[in-house]
Amino acid sequence: MKIIVAIKQVPERDAPLRIASDAKGIEERELQWAMNEPDAYALEEALQLKEKHGGEVVIVSAGPERVGATIREALAKGADRGIHIVADDLAARDALGVAQLLAAAVKPESPDLVLTGLQSEDLGLGQTGVILAELLNLPHASLILQVEISSADSPQAQIKAKRELEEGWFQSIEMPTPAVLTIQSGGNKLRYATLMGIKRAKTKELRTLDATSLGAAAAPVAVLDKITLPQKKKSTQIIPGAAKEAAATLVEKLKSEARVL
Amino acid sequence: MTLPLPTLAEPDHFSLGEKLLFAALAAASLASFLRRFAPIVSRILHAKKDADFHLFPLGRRIWDFFWEVLCQAKVIRQRPLPGLAHALVFWAFCAFVVVTLNHCALVFGSGFLAPASAPGRAYSYFAALFALACAAGILGLFVRRFFLRPRWFGKDLSWESGLIALLIFALMVTYLAAFFAHGPLAVRSLWWAHTLTLLLFLPIIPHTKHLHLVLSPVTIFLSRGGFSRIPLLHGDEDFGLVAGKDLTQIAALQAYSCVECGRCTEHCPANNTGKTLNPKDVVLGLRAYLNALGPASEEPLLGRYNAQEAVFQCTTCGACEFQCPVGIEHLPLIVGLRRGAVNTGAWEDAHGAKFFLALEKGSNALGLPASEREKFIEKNALPLFDGTQEYCLWLGCMGGYDPRGREIVLALVKVLRYLKVSFGVLRKEKCTGDPVRRLGNDLLFQQLAESNLETLTSSKTKKIISICPHCVRTIQEDWKEFGLPPAVEHHSEFLARHLGVLKGHDFSRAESSQEGRVLQVPSLGPGKAQPSSEQKEETEKVVFHDPCYLGRYRNIYDEPRAVVSLAGELVEAPRHKERSFCCGAGGGLAFLGEEKGQRVSHARAAELAATGASVVAAACPFCNTMFRDALAAQGPGAPELVDIAQLAARGLPQNPASNQTENASA
Repeated sequence: MKIIVAIKQVPERDAPLRIASDAKGIEERELQWAMNEPDAYALEEALQLKEKHGGEVVIVSAGPERVGATIREALAKGADRGIHIVADDLAARDALGVAQLLAAAVKPESPDLVLTGLQSEDLGLGQTGVILAELLNLPHASLILQVEISSADSPQAQIKAKRELEEGWFQSIEMPTPAVLTIQSGGNKLRYATLMGIKRAKTKELRTLDATSLGAAAAPVAVLDKITLPQKKKSTQIIPGAAKEAAATLVEKLKSEARVL
Repeated sequence: MTLPLPTLAEPDHFSLGEKLLFAALAAASLASFLRRFAPIVSRILHAKKDADFHLFPLGRRIWDFFWEVLCQAKVIRQRPLPGLAHALVFWAFCAFVVVTLNHCALVFGSGFLAPASAPGRAYSYFAALFALACAAGILGLFVRRFFLRPRWFGKDLSWESGLIALLIFALMVTYLAAFFAHGPLAVRSLWWAHTLTLLLFLPIIPHTKHLHLVLSPVTIFLSRGGFSRIPLLHGDEDFGLVAGKDLTQIAALQAYSCVECGRCTEHCPANNTGKTLNPKDVVLGLRAYLNALGPASEEPLLGRYNAQEAVFQCTTCGACEFQCPVGIEHLPLIVGLRRGAVNTGAWEDAHGAKFFLALEKGSNALGLPASEREKFIEKNALPLFDGTQEYCLWLGCMGGYDPRGREIVLALVKVLRYLKVSFGVLRKEKCTGDPVRRLGNDLLFQQLAESNLETLTSSKTKKIISICPHCVRTIQEDWKEFGLPPAVEHHSEFLARHLGVLKGHDFSRAESSQEGRVLQVPSLGPGKAQPSSEQKEETEKVVFHDPCYLGRYRNIYDEPRAVVSLAGELVEAPRHKERSFCCGAGGGLAFLGEEKGQRVSHARAAELAATGASVVAAACPFCNTMFRDALAAQGPGAPELVDIAQLAARGLPQNPASNQTENASA
């Protein structure tokens, strides 16, 4: 079966984030980039399905030239080929705009399954995957932890997926293929990158598509006004006095000010 | 009264029949030897070439050969009694080369050492002395193997060793008896007995551990040198030791040289605490693989003949490689097997994968956000390195993120400030890659080494000082593959160099003020109790634990001891210096979760505590973190744990600001 994994490149978790001067994004200079973690779990799920049922794993990612490194990383971990949608204006697009690019690249591949992380670590919108499903006119499910496939080779292949609900509840759902699933982090154990993987990845196909050739960018439906750092509120109080009195004051404060007692 | 010295008796002529019989037997013995030996040589020669092997310079090789082979220095020093017994046998064999040549030449009437001639008589007495020593030596080794039976020889008795011992004993006895033989028949019988023993001995050599007679001198001469020198990977298809085709000629030679003495097993921290790993079996496993499948095989090396689990239990402490008397370099083999498993993704370990992933994305081995390090630097007002200071103080993962490691760094900072040595810390640092290097992840190691080298080059670092022997080793030796690292030293080396200045202070909480210490500390901090007159008589006993990566890896033994001597009376654990026992953290094992069997750290902590010392001094933040838990498990009364930097900082005058905080926390 053919599985497409849509991956986003995001700033490395340790990267020092500074807001750009126009307050519409972050300063990209000196940033280091990494694979969005939920996408890494989507890739892992795809690789495990391939190991079980055979087939092909194709990576799709949109963004400027630097995105190529993240696609290579996915190829090094075991994906078969990559499609890089070269787009320098990704930050100016909303979730719909990005999903349109992905859909245009995915459609001609006619995959059996499209996997992507349920959200990105930088924007955290959680929409791109489901909009992509709508654009492809495919059924979808979100917050997936595990995927099982029965009769993978037949066109009637069925998906059995474990979905995370709230408060420790899970839902088991069945759906037909082809479908789009957005994957929750933590369902699998991620594999580490290996020297052999990197060397083999060098010879794997990485095709580039120009974003402009995939159709004109739609005007964003959702417009970003500005971004700001969260307000830091320092509210630590040190209660003076002997232990007994301090404890009494603390109880009083927890009752009247914090209202947790 | 003079005792008439007996003369060695030899047959004076041999009949044609005897000549033919001897020729036939000698030819058969030699042929049988070669038939067994040739395939071994062929397997070694058909193994992959060692790409980074250089024969020159020869000086080190000649010295190793002289010292370790001819003088048997390592054999004796690390196991004095059995070592000496072995050396006596070895030296006797050397002395018997001439005897044996003469012995064979005699058959064809061309003996060159007539026992009655002055040189012949002299040499026969010389050889007889060695024969006596050898007989005594082999008897001792026989008793040890079959009656004392040390653990590392394994459960099964080696009958072939018994047979060999018997043959060697027979060789010596038949020679010595010829001094007292009367009558031609007795003389002739002894000659034949000696000869037949010799001809029987020869074919046994190749397929037993006695192959080391032939191979180990070559192995020692051709060893890669250095300590734990991990070879370069060559080309796009080299991922370390994956299959037989990856075993190099040196590796194959070493595998066939093992004499199964078990010194590696005896000193292995994993093996001593109930793990599967036995370094001897790793080497013998490779030999068995080569015997069964040959050097071109594609079958994985980890499988039938070596267990993956065992290979990943190694702390890379290097005790095995240090101890090995036949020049086997265990660490390149063990790390090589790990490389083969990790570089191809065959190693699946939940902790390992998590650890690699954390370092792929993050900056440190502890998996903490880099901002934690920044906060630590800011809070303690550590100066940033800008290229003008003398030292770049490398924090390392432990020094930058671990609470105990940070205390060690701050103690060193206090000393540096006191000595007015300029230093700075880097704004950004990544793990040196030590744990991933030892675990065999070459991809990640390369990324970390290159990233760090870039930072150091752009910051114009010339000299690095670090509290971590693992960082020091990795920066100095392992990074060389990817660039030119700056000079680096461990803080023990730095502190030892400045002992003269540091000596002036009172380092202990209760140390006597000795004469000759002219520079007494002018005023103790207000919060510090003046040593009472009674306490002055006592000296604190401090036991120093040699970190593997400082001792065996870097050969630094005296410097940290000199620092310890500042603060108290140095006491030694039973296993110290070159024989030090690992803390269990090395080789990436600190990050691989709970170990099987007894914890290595607990075994070592118990040994350190049993010395009766009230302080355990370490010189490595990893040892420190391992012993913190292990000593705590000993319950109340366990010795205090410090780093030598903390000992050195102890006696220095406080600056007023830090003094207050110390008083507040006390």
